[in-house]
Amino acid sequence: MRITNPVVRWMCTAVTAAVLLSPAPAAGQGSQALKRTPDGKPDLTGVWQAVTTANWNVLSHAADKDVPAGLGVVEGDQIPYQPWAAAQQRENFKNRATADPEARCYLTGVPRSTYMPYPFQILQTPKQIAVLYEYVHAVRRVYLDSKHPEGPIEWYMGDSRGRWEGDTLVVDVVHFTNPVWFDRAGNFASDTLHVVERYTPMGPNHINYEVTIEDPKVFTRPWKMSMPLYRRMEKNVRILEFECYAFGLEHTWLKPPE
Amino acid sequence: MAEASRVGRQRSLSVAWRWDVKKPWTGCRSIMIAVAACAVASALVSADGQQGQAGSAGGAAYTAPRTPDGQPDLQGFWTVVPGGTYNIWDLEYQSIHQNGRPEPELRGKSRIVDPPDGKIPYQPWAAAKAKLIHDNHADPTPQFLDPDARCFLQGVPRHLYNREIEIFQSPGYVTFFNMAHHTYRAIPLDGSPHIPEGLKLWMGDSRGRWDGDTLVVSVANHNDQTWFDIVGDFHSDALNVAERFRRVSAGSIEYEAVITDPKVYTRPWKMVLRFQRQREQNIEMWEEACYENNWNSLEGMLNRPGREHAPKAP
Repeated sequence: MRITNPVVRWMCTAVTAAVLLSPAPAAGQGSQALKRTPDGKPDLTGVWQAVTTANWNVLSHAADKDVPAGLGVVEGDQIPYQPWAAAQQRENFKNRATADPEARCYLTGVPRSTYMPYPFQILQTPKQIAVLYEYVHAVRRVYLDSKHPEGPIEWYMGDSRGRWEGDTLVVDVVHFTNPVWFDRAGNFASDTLHVVERYTPMGPNHINYEVTIEDPKVFTRPWKMSMPLYRRMEKNVRILEFECYAFGLEHTWLKPPE
Repeated sequence: MAEASRVGRQRSLSVAWRWDVKKPWTGCRSIMIAVAACAVASALVSADGQQGQAGSAGGAAYTAPRTPDGQPDLQGFWTVVPGGTYNIWDLEYQSIHQNGRPEPELRGKSRIVDPPDGKIPYQPWAAAKAKLIHDNHADPTPQFLDPDARCFLQGVPRHLYNREIEIFQSPGYVTFFNMAHHTYRAIPLDGSPHIPEGLKLWMGDSRGRWDGDTLVVSVANHNDQTWFDIVGDFHSDALNVAERFRRVSAGSIEYEAVITDPKVYTRPWKMVLRFQRQREQNIEMWEEACYENNWNSLEGMLNRPGREHAPKAP
């Protein structure tokens, strides 16, 4: 049948084009579909890394020597410090070369360990998710079937307990040391820090990482940061070592004194 | 000679204790809490552990249960018995960190089963270096100080006999977690090759496969900085460790490592370990940060009258 009516012809063309241009169903879609574990949860197994300048400053900042410029990862681009804490942050910034836990090669806590410029590996079972970080072999065990132990406890990486909310892994982290720094710019929290991380897959190779930060000693209200995490796609990728405190030892104290 | 040797042992002992002194600064609160939790939990003797003992005694062939992805299941908390890292070829003081006392019945006993004399087959130059470290380890200047005391990663196989380990299995991986220094070693089982030879790591590069119920691991890419024990038994960056883990009962794993290093030894040598399952149930491996507060203990180890070798705190 030949279609003569121009309006109908145009509509047929439009529908055909829409069908052809729409995302390919079934097989084609499979490659972009979320991989799932046998118990139906998103499979987060793999090596991941943030691509952000948040480790230099979680807020928007211009470039400086050895500092790449960056837009902030904090909602509203502002941290709601209490007045004393705002002053402390300025003091931290002045003393950052020595006061920053990263400058001392210390474990950097949560969420900072996630967005430092090193990869981390996620291992996943139904009861537990383990996260192995390249920076100073930090490690987190995220237990999915239990509660925080009773404090007070001071751990550099805090205590992590997780649960699934649909396809989102929600991790509640408490029991930190004091202080915890968020970046090299001196933004910080105390040992009453409470972090809630939300890992939501955006596809097989991207995770939306959203963090709620709460600390009644330091902030006037809870605040949020977020960024994507990217799957490292190299075929031979593996976590290597960044044993920060071992560097330069030949000049300090491995060798005998003269 | 006997007298000198005994003095040597006593000095070693006192240093071993001095090393232990670092523990109160290394995440002390968390350790104490973990110990308390373990003490409570230890009242519950694991049925699994009991089966393990029965299995060992019977000597019957044991088939390990399987993980959901079909691997033989090695998961849980294990310790090497006798544990410790003092001296792998004379176990008398081996467990001093764990038990706080020497074990005279283990004098002269070695972890090394090949060569049959239980000694490391050093090349002559290497034997001289090992002796130099051994003679100085008890009163060390920095180059004779155990890298482990500086909180460096222990390397393979030492991390296996340095206190508690936890084996964790997820699809495609066997992963070891250490309480000491929060060390981890993730072993991929996908048949992938080692990283390029020139890239050296404290923990080496492990690649594993299952040979029936035995986990077979090749460990390459070691740096030359780690020791096998406190008394300074060492290797070079040409080290290769070929490991075999097999769960022989519910409560135990047998382990052997063939250690090859043509730069340092005259021949390969073999170390064996036996892991015993910890009986405590529902225990977790909690954070034991090491480096973060280690300056005080370094001062204790290195600074004495007339000798101030400790680095300044940053």
